[in-house]
Amino acid sequence: MNATLSRRALLGAGAGLAAASIGGAAEARILPRDMVPLIGPGYRAVDQDEKGMWQLMERVEEEVSGSNLLIKDPQLVSYLGTLIGNVGGPAAKDMRIYLARIPEFNAVMFPTGFTVIFSGLLLRMRNEAQLAGVIAHEGAHFLRKHQIRQWRDMRRKTDIFSFLAMGAGVAGGAAGIYAGDLVQLAQLGTLLSLLKYNRTLEAEADAMGVRLLADAGYDPMAMSETWQQLIGELDLSAKYRRKRRRRDFNIFETHPSPDARMADLKISAAEVRQPGRVYDAYRSRYLNALAGLRPSLLDDQVKLNDPGASQYIVNTLAKDGWNGLLRFYEGEIWRLRGSQSKGDELRAAQGYAAAVAYPDAPPDAWRWHGVMLLKQGRSAEARAAFARYLQLSPNAPDAALVRQMMAG
Amino acid sequence: MRFKQLLILAAAVSLPACASGVGGGSFGYSGYSLVRVKEVRVGNDSMAVTPPREWNKIAGSLFVDIHAVEDWTQNGPYLDGISFVTGLKDGKALVYQRRRDDRQVPKFRSNMTPPEIAAMIESLFRVRGGAVDFKTLSMTPRPFLGTNGFQFDYEHLDSDEVRRKGRAVAAVINGRLYMILFDAARSHYYNALLPDYEAIVHSARLV
Amino acid sequence: MRRVCLALLASVALAGCVSTRQYADVEFSPPQGDYKLLVMRPDVSVGSVTTGGMVEPRADWTEQARANFITALKAQQAGRGGNVLIMEKRNSLAAVDADMVAELERLHYAVASSIALHRYSGQYLPTKRNRGLDWTLGEDAVTLGRRTGYDYALFLYAEDSFASTGRVGLQVLGIAGCFVGFCAPNVGGGGQFGYASLVDLRTGEVVWFNVSQASSQIAGVKFGDIRTPEGAAQMVDRLLDRMKPGRNVRRRGRAQ
Repeated sequence: MNATLSRRALLGAGAGLAAASIGGAAEARILPRDMVPLIGPGYRAVDQDEKGMWQLMERVEEEVSGSNLLIKDPQLVSYLGTLIGNVGGPAAKDMRIYLARIPEFNAVMFPTGFTVIFSGLLLRMRNEAQLAGVIAHEGAHFLRKHQIRQWRDMRRKTDIFSFLAMGAGVAGGAAGIYAGDLVQLAQLGTLLSLLKYNRTLEAEADAMGVRLLADAGYDPMAMSETWQQLIGELDLSAKYRRKRRRRDFNIFETHPSPDARMADLKISAAEVRQPGRVYDAYRSRYLNALAGLRPSLLDDQVKLNDPGASQYIVNTLAKDGWNGLLRFYEGEIWRLRGSQSKGDELRAAQGYAAAVAYPDAPPDAWRWHGVMLLKQGRSAEARAAFARYLQLSPNAPDAALVRQMMAG
Repeated sequence: MRFKQLLILAAAVSLPACASGVGGGSFGYSGYSLVRVKEVRVGNDSMAVTPPREWNKIAGSLFVDIHAVEDWTQNGPYLDGISFVTGLKDGKALVYQRRRDDRQVPKFRSNMTPPEIAAMIESLFRVRGGAVDFKTLSMTPRPFLGTNGFQFDYEHLDSDEVRRKGRAVAAVINGRLYMILFDAARSHYYNALLPDYEAIVHSARLV
Repeated sequence: MRRVCLALLASVALAGCVSTRQYADVEFSPPQGDYKLLVMRPDVSVGSVTTGGMVEPRADWTEQARANFITALKAQQAGRGGNVLIMEKRNSLAAVDADMVAELERLHYAVASSIALHRYSGQYLPTKRNRGLDWTLGEDAVTLGRRTGYDYALFLYAEDSFASTGRVGLQVLGIAGCFVGFCAPNVGGGGQFGYASLVDLRTGEVVWFNVSQASSQIAGVKFGDIRTPEGAAQMVDRLLDRMKPGRNVRRRGRAQ
């Protein structure tokens, strides 16, 4: 993406200053037990400025709920609703959840209690506790009224750079390729500065999130795991592109550097565990709930051709066991990266060959296996693979072309 | 290939100024030039086509261009576009990108089969075009420029919530990619302009 | 965000200038007589520009402005003799489902962005020269018209922002910050921005398009405040009232 010509670059200097002004010195850890909800069930805005913000958010929710970028699978939405019910605290029944088909790792809670979760998040969470942890964290922003506090905090600042930061944050964006409402939210993770929390508010959300998680019986370590996974992904992504991990990845605009936070999270997690109580990550019911969606989640991610990130995700998912789907997508990662110097085509071929050995290999694996065999001159084997593809997928849209490839 | 967001960025970069009349046009973007109803060379001039009516060529760019690619539009890039790829070499991508970009459009390789070329187009739309959903409608053999090519029909939903539909006809000749790709809003614009696209494809010849 | 594109593209901020540029199809005659007009969900918002340049939406102002805007719209249309329905939600029409309305809104957004880009921002398309307004919403718009019995559809967007007192002291040439559903294209001192787009549902074509922008780079100078009935009427007026006939119609008029 041509970042040099983005507004982000123009306002980069200002944004840098803004980031500095928003940050601050390391603070003492916020104690989970101090984090009590500031709102109760059925909460509505009272003050004038908060009402204005709410009304705007109602318009936003109207637009979001009418978007055709939403995934509307009723079982999945209901599953997510259950999670909110588990970790939503007093607002559990008031919160609404929308799932958007956008391959970004992010979730956004709006000041009126609706949250948008992006499908990229669902791809990356290994178990229900991790997902609930993210929801708990976002819910905590709502329960602690962070958005209106941040709004008021921004209002107090007469600093010109706060405005520039707003401009940079909103319109600069991470990759800037998306133009839609929801997608902008995913990549930016901010709604003006409302959602651009400072470290204190992030720490509050962490502390409260961990408490909400543990209260619901989830393993509270899940939250720090999530951050570790994200950092691992970013590191591998940067490594495959031969560069250093960018500090300004969009998630860090809303969740500043995680090292101290991870340490605090670990301590807090230990603190909230009650002796004798059993905590679980609920992995199998999570995998069940997502089983239908996972192939398309992987597809959306892998086809972005960010090989390091995708490889990290596939490896993470494979910790629960390799299968045909994961081997197939591993092949896809190499095929798309297509680096001749690194022998990617051969690796892709091996990936597809490995995939088709599993019973759950998707039909596409057979087609790509056939393509690779054909390119290696193994025509008879290629034909067999293509035949298998057509058998598994008789209405394949590319059947005519595959038949031509079979004919040689 | 130009996509909608490049124009958005170009517009966003322009600083506000009191303009006499409408829009100073001072983005540095050279705008559009007229394509007349006669045979015209496209891209790196190795292919010639004859449009059945006048089109607008997206001329010049603020951004580093891919010399082998040329874009036309009838109603503007948000609504429709035809892209010509002429003799794209092994190891080149359809768009300008930097080696360090996290997400990249795959490069063309001379030994690519049609499914690989189609997959390259899909990644192009996902990585650069803001497509969140992409569906192959069909892939069939089709003669093109006197050789065995293929036709790729697809649909995608983009992040501006508009559904678009497209068709690409391509062939690899002497290790280079030749392709004519048509992409337009699925509502009205695709069907309205498909006949033009087909006429252009039929008229295409190597020079 | 869809609206970001349009606002940014049309944002040629003018110091104290009021600019209204309208483009009409060459055969366009402003609707008269007994016609039925469908106003697609009008998007109106008002906020105050704070010291840091943030636009803070004010619920009371927005409600007021929306009410005034709609009243002014109805009055203006009544004056022209039309029947008008202002859609509040996508499912406000009995004969058409919300999805169809949604698809039309989305297509219109792409079309309006194209008109803004290729008519207002200098990116002219040579094939459209001397053709008036040469864009259409196509068959889906015609279907809408047939099913509902409306002759025209009007798409509207209007916004206004006012410098609260803290802002006046600070002159910043900023580039707009926008957030979902609400854009502040000029932060010089607050300003009005709006567009109106009229679609003939019998053909699906956009027959008239107008962008109106009034801004004050000098904070504290206010144009018609759309929180007041007069200001809203002025905005409606600026957007709609002086609809001019298309070029061919004007020529024929002159020739007589």
